Amino acid sequence: MSSNHNHAASREVSKRHKVEGPQKHIVGFILSLALTIIAFAAVAAGEINETFTYIILVAMAVVQVIIQMAFWMHMKDRGHLFPIIGIIAGVFVVITMVIMALYWVWW
Amino acid sequence: MSAHDHVEGQLPHEPEKATLEARNKILGFWLFLGAEVVLFGTLFAAFLALRHNIGDGPSASELFQLPMVFAATMILLTSSLTSVFAVQAMHQHNKKSMLTWLIITIILGLGFLGLEIYEFTEYVHEGHGFTTSAFSSSFYTLVGFHGAHVAFGVLWIALVIGQVFKKGFNVVTAPKVYISAIYWHFIDVVWVFIFTVVYLMGKVAG
Repeated sequence: MSSNHNHAASREVSKRHKVEGPQKHIVGFILSLALTIIAFAAVAAGEINETFTYIILVAMAVVQVIIQMAFWMHMKDRGHLFPIIGIIAGVFVVITMVIMALYWVWW
Repeated sequence: MSAHDHVEGQLPHEPEKATLEARNKILGFWLFLGAEVVLFGTLFAAFLALRHNIGDGPSASELFQLPMVFAATMILLTSSLTSVFAVQAMHQHNKKSMLTWLIITIILGLGFLGLEIYEFTEYVHEGHGFTTSAFSSSFYTLVGFHGAHVAFGVLWIALVIGQVFKKGFNVVTAPKVYISAIYWHFIDVVWVFIFTVVYLMGKVAG
């Protein structure tokens, strides 16, 4: 009975505002977990060619970061245009700096 | 207590964005995170440029133990999940559950720090001191900076919990919980790049 009541109440709340459930965060967690395990497994196996391993590692990291930012840092929510611009600007500076440092030291 | 209950009963759906001040704080915090991205970017750039200069010291693949790094990664990833649960509990106006998740986050953060301190001590015993090589200096600077961020995050969340206890759960303290959770996720995001670039790529390079 009381669960019915709670159900009705939560439905009423969800009509007014979209109440988020834990599911999407658990999905984000499981995806992050899977991507992490793939990255570690690729290195632990040690059988794959070096360049290909690098590509796997970078791809896993980038995908995982995008998932975490979208879900956990709420960047996919509305009103996050400035945060997205800020982080993209930061990433642009970082890529420039990494290329600059490698170029400066090694070529 | 009843006064608190009354205030909590009137909390808006997203208490962290209820006031203009709170929304400005969140925007300002994102600008800070942009600067943090650049800070870690410089450290990553230095590390990437110097990681093969091991001098007389041990190389990355001799040093790193993947199981320990994996354990640290799992701890931090789980703590990121528990901090997002805290924000979710906040949205449901469940103060007790919010505080519980925040305390679990702190405990996991301390576990991560303990593991990192143990790891660094091991490395020093193996002859990988701060001044051993360009690789060791850039390694300790990058990973140590991240560790310092974790330590600061633990302290910060602890202080926020203290404030919620003292001043109650309201539109002033809610943005603080939200922002500290964002900071915690950011620490986890930086760690994703550290375990990829420093540890896994270090193992691959041989």
